[in-house]
Amino acid sequence: MTAKIEARAGESAAEGRDAGRREVLQYALRRFGVYLFTLWAAITVAFFVFRLVPGDPMNILLGNLTRAEGRQRDKAAEEALIAHYREIFGMDDPLPLQYVNYLRKAVLGGLDLGPSFVEYPAQTKDLVFRRMPWTIGIFTTSVLLAWLVGTVLGALIGWLQRSRLSQLAVVISTLLQITPVYLVALGLIIYVGYTWRILPAGGPYARHLQPEWTWEFISSLLTHAILPMLSNMIVIGAGFTLGMRALMISVLGEDYLTFARAKGLSPFTVLKDYAFRNALIPQVTALAIIVGATLNGTFIIEVLFQLPGLGTLFVQAMGLRDFNTMQAVVLFSIFAVLTLTLIVDLALPLLDPRIRRTA
Amino acid sequence: MPALLEIRGLSAGLQGRRSITQVVSHVDLDVQRGEILGVVGESGCGKSTLATAIMRLLVPPQVLQSGSMTLRLKDGKSYELLDLPEADLRQLRWRHLSYIPQGSMNSLNPVLRIERQMTDILIQHGLTREEALKRSIAALELVNLEPRLLDSYPHELSGGMRQRVIIAAAVSMRPALIVADELTTALDVVTQRQILQELAGIRDELGATILIITHDMGVVAQIADRVAVMYAGKVAELGTVNGIFESPLHPYSQGLIGSIPREGGQRVEGLPGEAPSPWNYPAGCRFHSRCPHVIDRCRAEAPALLPQGEGRWAACHLYEPEVLSNA
Ligand SMILES: Nc1ncnc2c1ncn2[C@@H]1O[C@H](COP(=O)(O)OP(=O)(O)OP(=O)(O)O)[C@@H](O)[C@H]1O
Ligand code: SF4
Ligand SMILES: [Mg+2]
Repeated sequence: MTAKIEARAGESAAEGRDAGRREVLQYALRRFGVYLFTLWAAITVAFFVFRLVPGDPMNILLGNLTRAEGRQRDKAAEEALIAHYREIFGMDDPLPLQYVNYLRKAVLGGLDLGPSFVEYPAQTKDLVFRRMPWTIGIFTTSVLLAWLVGTVLGALIGWLQRSRLSQLAVVISTLLQITPVYLVALGLIIYVGYTWRILPAGGPYARHLQPEWTWEFISSLLTHAILPMLSNMIVIGAGFTLGMRALMISVLGEDYLTFARAKGLSPFTVLKDYAFRNALIPQVTALAIIVGATLNGTFIIEVLFQLPGLGTLFVQAMGLRDFNTMQAVVLFSIFAVLTLTLIVDLALPLLDPRIRRTA
Repeated sequence: MPALLEIRGLSAGLQGRRSITQVVSHVDLDVQRGEILGVVGESGCGKSTLATAIMRLLVPPQVLQSGSMTLRLKDGKSYELLDLPEADLRQLRWRHLSYIPQGSMNSLNPVLRIERQMTDILIQHGLTREEALKRSIAALELVNLEPRLLDSYPHELSGGMRQRVIIAAAVSMRPALIVADELTTALDVVTQRQILQELAGIRDELGATILIITHDMGVVAQIADRVAVMYAGKVAELGTVNGIFESPLHPYSQGLIGSIPREGGQRVEGLPGEAPSPWNYPAGCRFHSRCPHVIDRCRAEAPALLPQGEGRWAACHLYEPEVLSNA
């Protein structure tokens, strides 16, 4: 009789797997819906926040211009100019209409986010695209490298939690993690860049070079990228190390680990299939969360190392109150972060069978 | 015939900042070939500590303090478990020595399929994938489970099924000794009964020896041949299940048997008070704070585990020759 009951239970497990597959699809669709909604919400919030900043950007802009050129202010001409600009930028329309137009252009007009105030008629989209490779290059590479290194180091430190070396590593990682990115960057610039002169301390590549596909240029590019990336990696990597260590230690206390050891599996198998594999799941989620939180650090690094990325673009635009450009930078950052998070979240069911059920 | 496992003077404790708090004290126990030996006692009396010490799976702050354990296999080989290096121990595990830990419904890795978790160790012991699969399927049949369960993840199974998978995994290499800690505690009564029956069947079919650890005298009554009653880290009484249930010698055994729910549901005279924790084991006989028959000597002197005829042992001053003759 028991056998019958269990046989039926077995069948239901198989049915469960088909249902599981359906649920993965549902999960993916739902996750994509959330992604679109978040994107829309972010665009909307960014739009209104920048519109609601007190002061008319046009006035500030023209004031800057005329003062810079030291000319007598010609009231009439100035007003005509402002009126002209306001028309171009559609700023006389009521706010809701501006918003609808903005959305329409952004979605249907191929990410048309309007022209830059300052570099009119240059499109903010083009400004952003020109700068984006730098930010993506530095940011993505350093975060991914930091994640890889941090995950492996953290796993080892957690696995060997009782050894002296592990305890030392925890202290060092904690110190590094709480240090602000700009201090690490400044430290590297001062010591490695200027005092010891081991690596270039700033700029995208050596000044006398032109961007071209030569070994000289590429190697200059790479050596210039080391310190900015290292600044980012040290701080983020320390965080990932500590996070993975904590995850490992909590997994090591799980009953299935005791059981794996009781079976007599080799320590390497226990580490690989039972401890690391399980700790990895939340660590992947951590990657998605950290991605958003560390982008601003990358912007600071770009400014400190004088790299022509989105961060420097944003700071320049801020100085000139070029709201359209600032807004475009913010939107593209949000877009990039949300997309990375989406990719990570969609990858999770591959790692964790339980999500296929519960999500 | 010598015992399959001979435990002598086994002590284990918890490493504190300055000193070790002893949890299990000088346990002497022979596990006979082919028997089901129950170890029974209240929660916190050190049953799991004893089981993990036997399996050499103590993790800090738990420490082994002293003792010896000899495992004698059928082929004549014998092993001093406490002296064995970790690598040799791994060779023994699962092949000769299986362990079903307490809370073992959570002992399956949630992100690996059952197949992987049953076969990985078989493959490590040198079986091919096909042989490993065949053995796993045969083991699943012993506990009335369908082979197709191999494709499942643990969360797709009920608690009883997971428990059976663990048992199947533990017996898949036909080990000489299976140590099972609180095997059925989290299960409903019907499932508990079925699983215990399957376990008894496995003993008969594979000729395995089973050390079953439980706080439930009912489990002991259903499945065990002999029982060791543990109190506060020591063996209080040892004997056949029939013998002890008919005439428990140690006052603690009497109390335990008295507190099994009888037909009709009412409990008969339970034990007063609470079991002491290792940090305040009483001096002398550790049971003296709760014992209805306590005498002066009990507070000063710990009773030794002494033979009381026909395979019965008890650790109580009441049964020591000079006390008996005074009475
Ligand atoms: N790792 C540990 N850390 C702290 N205390 C522990 C540890 N292991 C065991 N103990 C303590 O040792 C005593 C015996 O524990 P053990 O788990 O062996 O008891 P048990 O008889 O198996 O109880 P239960 O029936 O609840 O499983 C308990 O008081 C427990 O609190
Ligand atoms: S030794 Fe004394 S206190 Fe202990 S069980 Fe026997 S009578 Fe009770
Ligand atoms: Mg226990």
